[in-house]
Amino acid sequence: MITFENISKEFQDGTKAVQDFSTTIEKGELFVLIGPSGCGKTTTLKMINRLIEPTQGTIHIEGRNLKNWNKQELRWNIGYVLQQIALFPTMTIEENVAVVPEMRRWGRKQTAERVEELLRMVELDPAVYKKRKPAELSGGEQQRVGVVRALAADPDILIMDEPFSALDPLTREQLQQDIKQLQSRIQKTIVFVTHDMDEALALGDRICMMEGGSIVQVGTPHELTNHPANDFVRDFIGDRINEWDTPVREMMDPQSDYIANIEELPNLPLYPAPLYIFDNDSSFLGRRQGREIIEHDVSITPDMLLKKAVQYFEKTDMDALPVLENGRLIGVLSYKDIVWYMKNIHAQPGKESV
Amino acid sequence: MGTIQAVADLFQNRQNMFWTLLWEHIHMSLLALLCAIFISVPLGIYLSRKKRIAEPIIGAAAVLQTIPSLALLGFMILLLNEIGTLPAVVALSVYALLPILRNTYTGINEVDPAIKEAATGMGMSSFRRLRKVELPMAIPVIMAGIRTSMVLIVGTATLAALISAGGLGDFIMTGIDRADNAYILLGAIPAALLALFFDFVLRITEKTSQGKALTPVASVLIAALLVAAAPLFTFSQKPDLVIGGKLGAEPEIIANMYKHVIEEETNLQVVVESGFGSTDAAFNALSVDEIDIYPEFTGTAMAALLEETPESGSTEEEVYQQAKKGMAEEYGMVYLEPMQFNNTYAIAMREQQADELGIETISDLEPYTDELTAGFTFEFADREDGYPGIQDVYGLTFENVETMDSGLRTRAVETGQVDFIDAYFTDADMVEYNLRVLEDDKNLFPPYQGAPLMKQETMEAYPQLEILNQLGGEISNEEMQQMNYMVDYNDADPSKVAREYLTDNGFFD
Repeated sequence: MITFENISKEFQDGTKAVQDFSTTIEKGELFVLIGPSGCGKTTTLKMINRLIEPTQGTIHIEGRNLKNWNKQELRWNIGYVLQQIALFPTMTIEENVAVVPEMRRWGRKQTAERVEELLRMVELDPAVYKKRKPAELSGGEQQRVGVVRALAADPDILIMDEPFSALDPLTREQLQQDIKQLQSRIQKTIVFVTHDMDEALALGDRICMMEGGSIVQVGTPHELTNHPANDFVRDFIGDRINEWDTPVREMMDPQSDYIANIEELPNLPLYPAPLYIFDNDSSFLGRRQGREIIEHDVSITPDMLLKKAVQYFEKTDMDALPVLENGRLIGVLSYKDIVWYMKNIHAQPGKESV
Repeated sequence: MGTIQAVADLFQNRQNMFWTLLWEHIHMSLLALLCAIFISVPLGIYLSRKKRIAEPIIGAAAVLQTIPSLALLGFMILLLNEIGTLPAVVALSVYALLPILRNTYTGINEVDPAIKEAATGMGMSSFRRLRKVELPMAIPVIMAGIRTSMVLIVGTATLAALISAGGLGDFIMTGIDRADNAYILLGAIPAALLALFFDFVLRITEKTSQGKALTPVASVLIAALLVAAAPLFTFSQKPDLVIGGKLGAEPEIIANMYKHVIEEETNLQVVVESGFGSTDAAFNALSVDEIDIYPEFTGTAMAALLEETPESGSTEEEVYQQAKKGMAEEYGMVYLEPMQFNNTYAIAMREQQADELGIETISDLEPYTDELTAGFTFEFADREDGYPGIQDVYGLTFENVETMDSGLRTRAVETGQVDFIDAYFTDADMVEYNLRVLEDDKNLFPPYQGAPLMKQETMEAYPQLEILNQLGGEISNEEMQQMNYMVDYNDADPSKVAREYLTDNGFFD
């Protein structure tokens, strides 16, 4: 966990790069800092490994003030990936990856094994690439080495400064997928700077939008796209809203006519059908059929995205599906709800669907 | 083809000397290069970390480089109170500082800032970053600087001969002095090849290291250190006395005569260090005990050292007595008895031209001061008994005066580039080039008789040196001219010529 408390940075020339920045980055999440050039995102990033020192405020990692760390040891624990890739040109790939393990005085054998393991992880055959010089690799291959170099000594945190922006679109997409997979496997805390909104939406667990050195909005990709804090965020995100990526929670009806408490059952008319029944503590009991309550196994969850949910509609002939959270019935999603939601989205001025 | 043959012949005859001088040249060059590297590379690294003071310091090194190399060599003699290898190496090192310093600084500075940031951001200390990242990346640039300096040093080291540091420059200076191309080439060609060779070695070193391993660089450095330090491991017996001599055949022959006489009559070990470029250089060397004795002319002692003018019409004996008294009173030096020959200054011109113009005496030049061109040595142009004397005593001021090295002026007058020159009376050139000596009809030039000059303390430490007085009154003008001719034109060894004279005249019975 990384905590920023009222961080400000003023450079010697008087530029206020970061102003009163406070946020918390959770352990294991991929946290994206995004914003236009000069918004302070890179400055904020470099304060994590103390390449830049804040003029005010404190940063804690796992509750420990950064100032109390030995700078070099701190940096050994924070993998660093640069936009310029910046592999050391006089060293082989193997030597590049081994830089931090060597400083941490790992044994020769352990280091060699680690290098091979990492190269294989990013699909670079060690037998082929180990002894090569960086200049002999393509840009994409180089940045893969750049990523594993940062991971070499198994740091808890990885900071990445626009790592893919110098690569061609195809390679960039490939590496984004790689880093997403890597993230799900190795569970590092990753702080990722980019100016590319697509990249931020594709990778980020949470996105921190910055402007003029301050935070404008922090939230999940969905929160940013669907509930932009202001026009700046809306403009920055642009025509990117995809209603099919909305979770069901956003459009379900918790007070629907399609649901009923079991105690009310005798008094209700036979229509509308279906009718989903719950008991006093909201536990889902099933669907009414005639006078009976029968088991119903096609249900959806509130976090399920709309595009997924509609697939469930295709499996049944029901007009509405129950929304269950931990076995409790919390609402219903009907065709009507979906249409209503779509209508509202497009009623917002200037917003078109993709 | 003739020249190449001459160089080859000379090489055959002078092989031993050639290898000695080549070794001296290599030794001196490597020593200077190592000094320059050990100063410039660490300094360059330091400056790359202290950018604010970098420019002024590199600027200072650049100023040092603008000093003419010969001036720097001369300056080092005064600064270090010494002649020979030490001041030469110091001057050459100073000269070689800039290229290495600037390239080290630039090489490290030009490492991509992103790469430096990567190194720092990964947790390298400043020193580790330097060793692992910046230096390996800067090596090609630093090596280029070292190669530039190497070529500079090997070339400039030829001038070190002028301050008695030896090296291939000895051949070149002799060649200029004698107007002998073979000697010049025998010095210049190996010096050029040496520069190419070193450049080649350094280039291979750089290639092998590939900016990665420092091992090849280190091994070449160690090899160079061994060569430079080699003289420390050989025990050379220090001689008791060093006899100096100015550049030219005559001083070298006379100095060798002193040596032979001293070694024959006493148990003292003597070496000869000749080739001093000027009276000042030789006299400074004597003052700072670099040499113990050197033959000085009576007239020169008077005019150049004591800055006195002998009374007009003084006899040779009177001039000697006056010089002896002056040297003792002013410098505390002993001036032993002079030889017979009188190598006076003379004004000489081509026999044929002198006939055409009807010039017999210096005064006869008067109608031609606008038309004729004078070719004077630097020393003559400046001495009281030289050109200033001609202006005073004869009232002649020449429109065109070319100053040049003593070895060049005979050739210049022969080819007609100048019309008359200052000459030494006993010069072999007078015979070879058919030059007429103009009569000194107003007795400007005092007598110039060679005699041993030394400090009082030297005489007190070695009273046996009195035996040098045996040479007093020896050697006629003709004999001296003959011996000079033997050395200058028949390439005879000055030491042998001196010994032959002494043997023929019954010194070694």
